[in-house]
Amino acid sequence: MKIIINFLIGCITLTAWGQYAPAPQQSKSILILNATVHLGNGNVIPNAAVGFKKGKIELVADASTIRLSKEAYDTTILAEGQHLYPGFIAPAINLGLIEMEAVRATSDFYEVGEFNPHIRSLIAFNTDSEILPTVRSNGVLFTQVTPSGGVISGTSSVVHLDAWNWEDAMVLKDDGVHLHWPDLYRRSAAGFDRNKNYDEEKNQITQFFENAAVYCSQSQHNEVDLRMEAMCPVLLGRSNLYVHAENERQLLEVVAFKQKMKIKKVVIIGGYDAPWVATSLKEENISVMIPRVHSLPHYSADAVDGPFTLAKQLHDAGVLFCFQNAGDMEAMNSRNLPFLAGTAVAYGLPYEEAVKGLTLNAAKILGMDQQYGSIEVGKSATFFLSTGDALDMKTNQLTHIFIDGRNVTIRNKQYDLYMKYKRKYAQDKK
Amino acid sequence: MRKILSCIAALCFLTSQAQVTFPVNGARDKNWEYIALEHATLHIHDQQTIEDATLLFHEGKIINAGKDIALPPLTLKLDYTGKHIYPSFIDLSSNYGQPAVASAPWSPMPQIERNRKGAFGWNDAIYSDYAASYHFEYNEEQAQAYIKSGFGVALSHQKDGIVRGSGCLVAFNDNELKSLLQSQVSAHYSFDKGSSKQDYPNSLMGSIALLRQTYYDAQWYKVSGIQSERNLSLESFLQLQNFPSFFDCDDKWNALRADKIGDEFGVQYIIKGAGNEYQRLAEMKASKASFILPVNFPGPIDCTDPILVKQIPLEEMKHWDWAPANAAMLKGEGIPFVFTSDGLEDKSQFLSKIQKAAQYGLTESDVIAALTRLPAQWTSSYDKIGSLEAKKYANFIITSSPLLSTKCQILENWIMGEKHVIETPKEEPWLGQYQLTWEQNGPITSTIIIEKRPNGLNGTWIQQGDTLAKSLKVTTDPVRVTIYMHHDKDSTFTTHEYLTLQKTQSGVEGMLLNALNSIKMVKGSFEAAPKKEQEEKEEITEWKKPITAMTYPFGSYGRKALPSKETIWIQNATLWTNESAGVIQGDLLIQDGKIMQVGKVTAPANAVVINAKGLHVTPGIIDEHSHIALMSVNEGSQSSSAEVEEARVVWPEDIDIYRQLAGGVTASQLLHGSANAIGGQSALIKLRWGMNGDQMLIENAPGFIKFALGENVKQSNWGEFSRVRFPQTRMGVEQLYYDHFHQAREYGAAWKKYNAAAKSKTPLPAPRKDLEMEALHEILESKRFITCHSYVQSEINMLMHVADSMGFKINTFTHILEGYKVADKMKAHGVSASSFSDWWAYKMEVRDAIPYNGALLWEQGVNVGFNSDDAEMARRLNQEAGKAVKYGNVPEAEALKFVTLNPAKMLHLDHRMGSLAPGKDADVVIWNNHPLSVYAIAEKTFVDGRCLYDRSEEDALHQAEWQERKLLMDAMQHSIENGDLPQKANGRRRRHFHCDSEGELFIIQDHDHENHH
Repeated sequence: MKIIINFLIGCITLTAWGQYAPAPQQSKSILILNATVHLGNGNVIPNAAVGFKKGKIELVADASTIRLSKEAYDTTILAEGQHLYPGFIAPAINLGLIEMEAVRATSDFYEVGEFNPHIRSLIAFNTDSEILPTVRSNGVLFTQVTPSGGVISGTSSVVHLDAWNWEDAMVLKDDGVHLHWPDLYRRSAAGFDRNKNYDEEKNQITQFFENAAVYCSQSQHNEVDLRMEAMCPVLLGRSNLYVHAENERQLLEVVAFKQKMKIKKVVIIGGYDAPWVATSLKEENISVMIPRVHSLPHYSADAVDGPFTLAKQLHDAGVLFCFQNAGDMEAMNSRNLPFLAGTAVAYGLPYEEAVKGLTLNAAKILGMDQQYGSIEVGKSATFFLSTGDALDMKTNQLTHIFIDGRNVTIRNKQYDLYMKYKRKYAQDKK
Repeated sequence: MRKILSCIAALCFLTSQAQVTFPVNGARDKNWEYIALEHATLHIHDQQTIEDATLLFHEGKIINAGKDIALPPLTLKLDYTGKHIYPSFIDLSSNYGQPAVASAPWSPMPQIERNRKGAFGWNDAIYSDYAASYHFEYNEEQAQAYIKSGFGVALSHQKDGIVRGSGCLVAFNDNELKSLLQSQVSAHYSFDKGSSKQDYPNSLMGSIALLRQTYYDAQWYKVSGIQSERNLSLESFLQLQNFPSFFDCDDKWNALRADKIGDEFGVQYIIKGAGNEYQRLAEMKASKASFILPVNFPGPIDCTDPILVKQIPLEEMKHWDWAPANAAMLKGEGIPFVFTSDGLEDKSQFLSKIQKAAQYGLTESDVIAALTRLPAQWTSSYDKIGSLEAKKYANFIITSSPLLSTKCQILENWIMGEKHVIETPKEEPWLGQYQLTWEQNGPITSTIIIEKRPNGLNGTWIQQGDTLAKSLKVTTDPVRVTIYMHHDKDSTFTTHEYLTLQKTQSGVEGMLLNALNSIKMVKGSFEAAPKKEQEEKEEITEWKKPITAMTYPFGSYGRKALPSKETIWIQNATLWTNESAGVIQGDLLIQDGKIMQVGKVTAPANAVVINAKGLHVTPGIIDEHSHIALMSVNEGSQSSSAEVEEARVVWPEDIDIYRQLAGGVTASQLLHGSANAIGGQSALIKLRWGMNGDQMLIENAPGFIKFALGENVKQSNWGEFSRVRFPQTRMGVEQLYYDHFHQAREYGAAWKKYNAAAKSKTPLPAPRKDLEMEALHEILESKRFITCHSYVQSEINMLMHVADSMGFKINTFTHILEGYKVADKMKAHGVSASSFSDWWAYKMEVRDAIPYNGALLWEQGVNVGFNSDDAEMARRLNQEAGKAVKYGNVPEAEALKFVTLNPAKMLHLDHRMGSLAPGKDADVVIWNNHPLSVYAIAEKTFVDGRCLYDRSEEDALHQAEWQERKLLMDAMQHSIENGDLPQKANGRRRRHFHCDSEGELFIIQDHDHENHH
């Protein structure tokens, strides 16, 4: 541990003048040797060699069986005992759209209006947010910048967390539209009952989609309708429709809606009851970004560990899923995303499947798996090294972060404050 | 309905309405007549029934009741053969005749001071001067609803406010001078501030504190306070103490809360119950209270949508099953009870609800007592009402059969000798066979048979052996029967004919009206149908029983009985002792709720062995900052609410208790919120799932109080309307503290002076006991300890200075996210730090929060803990401790102490909790993995040696719940099919919350949301 601290202090001295400046392009080739490599695709190589140049992975191999010429790489990182993971992906949250929850001026994630598919989160993503580096330091290197509010909140984009501006940060531009399925039940003064407006609310959505389908069937329009334009990538099957829905009847309604509207790519965000309708979801190729694992059961009648076991249940049922942490204080809390997966492991999900749920599964669902999500030759060199198991808070301790091969600092404002006050008390002692 | 009402009005002729003192317009009415109801079964009171007896009354009062009684010459004798006469019912929970409560419109502006003007007290919810008799007015609509359901008298009072003034006994009579039987008979209280819009109190605990303080103020006022002020509220409050006290409680736990206040001031309240008292019989019995029970049993929930059913709390479904058994179960414990119609939307359902309750084990005598004698005795009016004895008011009901017979109908309700007809007995003098003759091209002879069918009277027409019609419509009035004649087939009539008949001495005669042939005379004979034999007496052979199990708590994951304190020998475990031995391999022995041996164990033979090879054992997790298991969190209305106590509003049925046991938590400090600079007093509890609120409190725990600094206190995020309460800046906060502590110091001095003089020859009058100052003075005396919500270094520093200068120490800073900046100062002050592991970025004052805070403070020698402040995070506080390893490299054994021993020290409970040492409480967790790891799951959690969470038992409890749900779903569906009206589910998880006003519910939830961290 002492070595790491020394290493970190070293980093600080090295980069003291360029605090958190995004890292430059990879100029030198790097070889990471002897780490345990979690490929992100479900496989693991206990003692591996991973080589990358110009931001691309060009070697992934078992170090004990292949011949290596170290000279082929400018730099070698000896990482015995360490773990290498693909950069974790934090979807479905407002990271970068908010700085201080209570300070309204810092909030840019909630737009007024009911049907706002044309609202684009990408351009509001604040690369200078002080939260981003704290999230990065735990291994989360991507986020899906997600707007909320209304029935259709807007269009999200996927970014990485080390950039000068949102254009640099962009990984997937306008990856999909976010729809909030209406509640089936509602509470009124008279008691708890079915939502009487449900059919009307659902019809509004259907009508909106039907109009959009007509609009999108033509490529040229004399009058441009921004809302309809924004729906076309979804209706033409080029981007995702993210549907925020929880209970089983809602989920079944989403399945029916997908069939009726012939929407190619549908992703559930939430899906508290997804295990109960897993077959339908699987048959329709609907994937699920599961609810924050660290949450309470919705009802007292639910199993105490329900949210903890949900990932395992979906895995067993063969539904494609990934982790996300939408909910209270989701921006700052996204640094705990790895531990959500860790808890799922405690409750029965195989370890490499949990890693997959943070990496390749998320990349597949978002549509960025050609470049990202796993440590495979030809993909982007976006990964991090941890001295211990990164899914366990006790041992999650990063030493290196690479995004597209760029050597990104593991420091953040909080770490610097830590060091500042460590120095203060050391001085005081003298 | 209209018919019955007009009957009631019409039949008031029997007695006079004149008031003696009033001038008369016209000739005087005189009450000359005596009335005797003869040959009835008289239910004199619950213990005495006389058959074939006479009830004699005059001028609204009973003269005599019994067999062979002498009747004065001028007696109107009425035959009541076969009828039953009971005393009219008495309703003790009624606002009959009181004006509607005017409620001011909602306003976002705070109302810090009272609205009411005049020489009254400071709080608008204390309406002790309200005399119901002065506001009472006859209300015909209400009166008739009561009369129809069998009531003769109500204890009328205004249901508004915490102290509601006095009640009066009124009979349901339109002459107000007569109907007001007694002007001031009772005192009324509740926890609901009602129409008061004053900010204080906005929580249940605030209501409790306000009521207690009012008692103390009244004591002071009586002795010496009157010298310094005239306070009509306190004067009338003192008068109220002469009457029996009634407390309106809408939940079983509130009954206990009220009773505790009563114990403090020597008052035994009569509790207006909620109907769920059966869930805690032992506690209800121990309260020694009597209960006024509602009978508004819930209807079945429509269970055809299983997804909806899943969302309904189990206790709400089971309440349907158990609610009718409530009274019978109280009877089983010997708890006195009466019934009220309060809460019934349709009061005419009252008798049928009573009958339903009786099916679970009440005799007729029990029911009569509960409806008549007891309510009279509880209002000291049994000399006037409540039985059919001489000199009492002639208030009685006439029924068709015994009260508990399902055929029982209330026929008449006589109030003060005035008759009100409720239901006319269905005599059918027209049933029978008619031989009729009329002219239709020569004489025609027909037979008409009139019989009773379920949908009414029905006629059959037979002519010369041929049945012409089988279902003729028949209507009757007292003197005539009309039959609508037509042929069922092959009609020779072109249209309907109308046959009307009246009786004559020789038979019947009447006319037949025919559209073709105009009117014809009809004559004939009549043979009445034989009367049916009197229905057999229904006898209840077996009492009904609920179909589901009684569990503690009465909901999800409840158990039929509390697990016992067993002798447990945990073998071969990795023991995290938190003692100098550190982490060791060995055994642990638990006995009688205590840890007996650690490491090497010589166990008694009866010990239950748990092989814990590969498992880890730690002390139970202690959450220093929690808001679970509470009815209310913030009394955020004033800048200081030091008088409020969370201990009085513990909600022991919160499902989060069980969920946190599943996360290894065994004890929690339930803190007041952070809405004000000086919050309320904490409740220190153990998570004794299944026990009641008082049993959860840790015995002999020291007193704690919540303080708060920063944005919440100065209302930074409360919206534009909250700009008036002092303080609005950090500058103001400091001065607020000084102001209060100087006051408290002077308060202490005044009492000291008083106590010293008490023994001398010149004693002084007692100072006013002030609950707020008591708490603050305890802080100055180091008998109560502060846990202070805090974020930025400047204010942390400030509060330590305030404490130092006033001669005490701050015990704990909670949150303390910038503690790392002043760790050395905190060390010097000796204050503990109870922090979040890694929260930040939720508001301005947490901008500089860092997850290394815990490590830095620990390095400087401060006693550090991590808390949850969150029901979800609390169930994995072990993981949060693990973050102390990640952020700042705290050694593992020390990191575990962040959530065990260190919070125990903060709470001054480390002598009995926080480590595995012989003699300490057996609050122990068995983990399946390294306890700081994300992979650790609590296998078993012991509290005081009881295994209150067992992962291997959880499935069984879960399954049992669903079996019960299925049983209830079937039964409810069956009940709906049988005609019971389905009812919407409430579905609120915190259903007990609305025991207090809705206002509180919303305010508290809002404030929770904004201010709990």
